[in-house]
Amino acid sequence: MKPYSDGTVMNRDFLRSAFRSMLLARILENKLSSLYKAGKIVGGVYLGRGQEAVSACLGTSLIQGTDFFAPLIRDQAGRTAFGEPLIDCTRTYLGSVEGPMRGRDGNIHRGRPSMGMPAMISHLGAQVPVVAGMLFAKRLQGTLAGRVGATCIGDGATSTGAFHEGLNLAAIEGLPLVIVIGNNQFAYSTPNHRQFACKDLVEKAKGYGVGGFSVDGTDLLACASVIGEAVKRAREGGGPQMVVARLLRLSGHGEHDDGSYVPSEIRNGHYGRDCIEVAMRQLVENQLATVDEIFAWQDEFGDDVQRAVAQAQQEAVPDPYQEDWTALATRFPIPQPIFP
Amino acid sequence: MPTVPILMPQLGESIAEATVIRLGIAVGDAVRTDQEIIEVETNKAVMGVTTLCDGVVSELRAQEGVSYSVGTLLGLLEVTDAEVARTGVESLESIETKRIASQQASNPTQAEANLHFALDDDAYEEAPAVVPSVKGLPVPTGVLGAHYISPRMRARMDDLGIREADISAIVGTGAGGRVTVEDLERFLDYLDAWPSSPASPMRLAVADAMRRSWTRPLATVGLPLLLDRALDHRRGQNPKPGLTLYLLRAFALALTESPATAGYLIGDKVVHPRSFDIGVAVQVEDGVLVPVVRKVDQKPLAELVAEYDDLVDRARRRRLTEQDCSGGIATVTNFGTFGLTTGTPIPLPNETLILGIGAGAKRPVWSAQIEAFVPATEADLLLTFDHRVVDGGGAGVLLNRVAALLQKPADL
Amino acid sequence: MSVTYIDAIREAQEKLLREDDRVFLYGQDIATFGGAFKATKGLAEQFPNRVFDAPISEDAMIGMAVGAAIEGMRPIVEMQFADFSSLAFNQLVNQAATHFYRTGVPIPITVRLPSGGTPGSGPFHSQSMEGIYAQYPGLVVLTPATVSDAYHMLLDGVALDDPVIFCEHKFLYRWLKAKSINGDHLPIGQARITRPGKHATVVAYSAMVHEAVRAADRLAQDGWEIEVVDLRSVKPLDLDTILASVARTGRLLAVGEAFPWGGVTAEVIARVSEEGFHLLDAPPQRLNARDTPVPYHPKLWAAHRPTPESICEALRKLLSF
Repeated sequence: MKPYSDGTVMNRDFLRSAFRSMLLARILENKLSSLYKAGKIVGGVYLGRGQEAVSACLGTSLIQGTDFFAPLIRDQAGRTAFGEPLIDCTRTYLGSVEGPMRGRDGNIHRGRPSMGMPAMISHLGAQVPVVAGMLFAKRLQGTLAGRVGATCIGDGATSTGAFHEGLNLAAIEGLPLVIVIGNNQFAYSTPNHRQFACKDLVEKAKGYGVGGFSVDGTDLLACASVIGEAVKRAREGGGPQMVVARLLRLSGHGEHDDGSYVPSEIRNGHYGRDCIEVAMRQLVENQLATVDEIFAWQDEFGDDVQRAVAQAQQEAVPDPYQEDWTALATRFPIPQPIFP
Repeated sequence: MPTVPILMPQLGESIAEATVIRLGIAVGDAVRTDQEIIEVETNKAVMGVTTLCDGVVSELRAQEGVSYSVGTLLGLLEVTDAEVARTGVESLESIETKRIASQQASNPTQAEANLHFALDDDAYEEAPAVVPSVKGLPVPTGVLGAHYISPRMRARMDDLGIREADISAIVGTGAGGRVTVEDLERFLDYLDAWPSSPASPMRLAVADAMRRSWTRPLATVGLPLLLDRALDHRRGQNPKPGLTLYLLRAFALALTESPATAGYLIGDKVVHPRSFDIGVAVQVEDGVLVPVVRKVDQKPLAELVAEYDDLVDRARRRRLTEQDCSGGIATVTNFGTFGLTTGTPIPLPNETLILGIGAGAKRPVWSAQIEAFVPATEADLLLTFDHRVVDGGGAGVLLNRVAALLQKPADL
Repeated sequence: MSVTYIDAIREAQEKLLREDDRVFLYGQDIATFGGAFKATKGLAEQFPNRVFDAPISEDAMIGMAVGAAIEGMRPIVEMQFADFSSLAFNQLVNQAATHFYRTGVPIPITVRLPSGGTPGSGPFHSQSMEGIYAQYPGLVVLTPATVSDAYHMLLDGVALDDPVIFCEHKFLYRWLKAKSINGDHLPIGQARITRPGKHATVVAYSAMVHEAVRAADRLAQDGWEIEVVDLRSVKPLDLDTILASVARTGRLLAVGEAFPWGGVTAEVIARVSEEGFHLLDAPPQRLNARDTPVPYHPKLWAAHRPTPESICEALRKLLSF
């Protein structure tokens, strides 16, 4: 255990685990990008390149089976860290009927709500009150203690009414909600100065009466420390916590977009550095992992990804003749009781 | 002095009534405008009922602890005329005057246009004169009988295998004199008492063709035809062509001169004949068959005899193929063979023309040559046509041409 | 002692809170204040920590209910007015309505919408939203017209595993009274023949059922026997009962208080034309509110929505075709 510069202690297992999630996510997403460019994927591919450190640290801070995690579109690392099986991802992207969404919804919309991971809808900010509601249910059931719910959003989603309403509601109820805002400086192509007028998004935390943290989202050690602290405070009853992570997405909005609107001074600036490279150096320099280990992980994950892709590709696609074509859980007509 | 009512106000949406919890006034008290005089409680809140003008309480109907529905008269104020003018309040007297005026102006059903008000809320006694927003659906006027067949009526007729023409006997009792399903059922019940037999497939086929044909405006023209030359010519032939074949050949030749006369009108165009193939009506058991002789205009009479005889023979034996009966542009019918002298032939539904001939009869005809009457055989030659395609003039030219050709049988 | 429509709604919620610990109530001003219409009067005191005041955040209220439903609760959300549910539209139609289809996890939430016009309520406190929600797959839309239905259908709606839009009519809240909540208890999705007849069918729902019955009473004086069908639930739509009625009468008028473009009446007409064309003696007709916002003044309002008078007029035209 080594001390951070702020005096807190580096958790070896946490950092190795978070890094492994980052690496697996990066390898998986590179594969998805390649499958997309080979025409194998129906629909869009939205990647978390450059945002893995933030996402992985949040996912690693959460406990599957206890906590709730509502990922957004750049959270492959967080999903992996939270425990989403690799096959869920490849099945969904490749349209296997065995996947969690069964072909009814695609790619990053996948989720397993009954396992604490709700399935996002495209409308940004909409998952904030949902996670609040999951926590609220646990309070009513008397099992909230020690639990947190977390969701990730981007700088663009902070402009939505849903974000405002959801965070305000969670604050009123004092729920253990952690909102991690990945400020990647562009909402699709819209820069920060067309998105909000405050100096730093974290200023908003004060207005909502919630805890606020800022972190360099390209720095794994900083993310681990800050996000870990935010989750800890929420878990210990400190109410909602907001973390604003400054970073840059290292790809387009989706794989259909080249991100050419990002000015080169930003791309070549501090936040343009690749968090996975930073993390690798941090791990090696702090003797948390060896170079050999990292290479071994890379090979292992490459094989894992290839296997998951191969399996999903061999599975059946949904059959419109087998689909029940009903959006309701209830089967109407409801028979009338003969002896009411 | 005018009397102004104190009414239970509407104290919030969906509030139907309120309970008086305190009366702040007594009879004889002077009250001022906007004074809270009665405290009431709804299931939402406690509120005050205020006055609209200065006045003196002349009557108090409300009691503490009792609930009153919205619009109930709680009490009365006596108010000066000057105060009424100043505040614009409505006095009982002016309300009554307005009510009588509105009753005289509008009919009683309008006065209860919105029953919620009329039933539940006296305050809205002058109900709004609602203009019904009903549109569309023209009311049928002057449409009598079976002209309109509703989808329901059509479905029932299809169930029963009944066509529109079949129900012409029924007098409708529905809206606009329409025949209803009930009328139809009643008629069928009535017919049940009558003897009946099943119609043969041949009968039904003819019936269908005739119904369809009859949807068009058909007209018939005729002239007397001298048959002697044709009959004389026929006697010299071996094998002998039937008289009908002479007509067939003359009809085809005449039509080549004005093919559009046999055209079929569809939409905004007339479809012309491609080939002068003429049908001949052959009476068979319980029906009529119409085999078609091909390219009648291109074959001299003698060449047609065998083909014609074969078709007629096979028709009588019911051995015609569908092809034998298709593609005709007009038909010839010789009802003279039944001893009938005249008639109104009906063309096939897919044809515009039918040429008919009645039985010949001996008549004295004046011969200019020998300055005396000579006996001649004369028959009615009739042409029925679809008046949409041909007019009387055109039909007459065609018929006269046929008659003229028949006077030179050797050329046929 | 009589029971009003809103008493029935309150009593149903009381029973649900008493008997099902998965149920909680969430809405603006519903706790100590008892709700804008008093539909939850006294429930907060009776059931501590089960009835909660919500911030004025319609979107978050529904999002929160969805999250709670994922975790096994059965929230009942009160929108203060149906009109305000437009602010929760996204969570309702995109989150709640799609959830079961997408993930297989049902969302048993019930959203109570105080619907329809009352005199003086104006454009933003009078709307009828049932047609809009019925358009979206994944929602059940209920429109009770009677005191008894208000009670039973709320209980049954909460018991369903699907999101339920419960359209309760504000006009009926206190105007409609019954001697008691009777035992006539049809399952959700089944329409009721409110009044039998043989000359024409009026399909109506919610407050319009009462207007249709009044119109039928008047026409009865002229010898017409009008059948009134109360849809009860607009989605699912009980087409069997509608078709059976049209088969008896041959004539159809669909009456709704919502705006005229599309909606429930249009759906009824379309379905009957599709599947029951052969039953019709006359073109099926519909009668709705006018194509303007709901006007504020009672006189305009009363002429904006169908009335017994305009229903009679439409029926007379229909009967004379």
